[in-house]
Amino acid sequence: MASDPMPVDTTNLEPPAIPDQNQNPETKTTPQRPEPKYGGHSRFELELEFVQALANPEYVTYLASRKLLVNPAFIAYLDYLQYWSRPPYLKYLTFPTASLKMLELLQVEQFRKDAINPGLAQALIVEGMKSAVEWHRE
Amino acid sequence: MNRPPKPDSMQKKLEDSFDRIEKALTAFLDSLMKNNPSEKLAADLVEADRELHNAVKELETHQNNVAKVKRLKEETDALDQKTKAILQNLWDMRKELKSIPTTSYSDAQPKYRFTTAELLSYARLISPHTLPPAAVLHSLDIASSAANAPSPSPNPNSNNPTAQTPNAMTSSVVGTPSASIPAPTTSGAPAPPTPSNVNSTSQQPQQQQTQPPPAIHQPPSIIPPLPPHITPHLNPHEYQHFVPWPTMAQIRSGALMKVQDLINRGIDPKIYDPEEEERKKKEEEQTRKEAEEQARREREEQERRVREERERMMKEHAEAARQAEAAAAEGAAPSSTGSAMKPPPPKQFQFLDDDDDDDDE
Repeated sequence: MASDPMPVDTTNLEPPAIPDQNQNPETKTTPQRPEPKYGGHSRFELELEFVQALANPEYVTYLASRKLLVNPAFIAYLDYLQYWSRPPYLKYLTFPTASLKMLELLQVEQFRKDAINPGLAQALIVEGMKSAVEWHRE
Repeated sequence: MNRPPKPDSMQKKLEDSFDRIEKALTAFLDSLMKNNPSEKLAADLVEADRELHNAVKELETHQNNVAKVKRLKEETDALDQKTKAILQNLWDMRKELKSIPTTSYSDAQPKYRFTTAELLSYARLISPHTLPPAAVLHSLDIASSAANAPSPSPNPNSNNPTAQTPNAMTSSVVGTPSASIPAPTTSGAPAPPTPSNVNSTSQQPQQQQTQPPPAIHQPPSIIPPLPPHITPHLNPHEYQHFVPWPTMAQIRSGALMKVQDLINRGIDPKIYDPEEEERKKKEEEQTRKEAEEQARREREEQERRVREERERMMKEHAEAARQAEAAAAEGAAPSSTGSAMKPPPPKQFQFLDDDDDDDDE
């Protein structure tokens, strides 16, 4: 099973530099020193993977079962991850609908509390499947 | 077009003409009764008659014109109605247009610029994950139509999708056509591809063997269905699956899991870089090889030195032996008995003399 997200001190954390740094204004402010890596992966890669993994309701239930969704640092981290809903990061999500919806839901305290309930994951899976199949027929 | 005279003026003119002809006729008749016919009165009567004739002609034109006016008025009314209807339609349409809710772009939200190429490339990127493959959709269509059909033995699960287990739900949603195409069952009606049906496909052959499907009620089943164990081989979409999010297997094989693995092994991921480690390992390997090479060369060098030393010593010994022999020969000439008594010195290293190189080979 995947690890806990690493950054805990998310108070002043800026979104990571995107790999293609041609048009990103934030890269101008970042120093030229190489990006720190975690196990050979950049923060961008790890956070992208984590946000996409959130799209899976079972994974969210797993996170809840490890009491991460009541951890203030983790809640702050979820808030920080909302930069994925904005360009230029948005275009790197391959499961944009499910990922961003789950990220949005995870900002709600009640949802974080309910996420430990496997029935909620079930309902999310059923609804997600249904909407994924039905949306193009409208 | 001449404007037609007003009806009252027309009537007055006609009445005048009648009056005139009446007067002329009366005057002419009076003159006849008095036996004093006057040519002038007759001419006057003729003139009056002509005038009346003209007036009647004019009346006819007038009547025609009136009819024409009436017709034109009707035409105008019709056109007016038409115009009004068009205007009404226009008004209705405008109201309809106004009532369509449009997306309101508030200035508070930031706007992002993107190019069509970016949009298309992103669409290509996410399309495999946002829309199920056509085969899956097709199977779902069949499934839904089958579910809508009245079934004598409805599956309780089909009415309550939330009660299904996740794997069961997944399999029902992502079911492939072969799994979802309703095979003729003993009930005589196609059953929806609920998980129980999908899972019970292995039981169908026995059922079919014991109770063949009634061909009278089901014309399509004249063609015998393929055995379930053969269908997957003929269907290219058999193993096509669709989940609109990353699977747990994908999450488990990701970078986060590798980082967790490092933490579990007690390695700080911040200072651990697989590429760096690989590079270090290669470097170590390289230095180790170089050290081995160096040691090998040193050993060879040492062996060479030992061999040379040995050869040198052997030559020295041989030289010493020769000298001793020569000295002995010289000593034997004056006293041959002494030399005959003394045994010759043992020829040490004599065996090295001929082929010492063989030892090294």
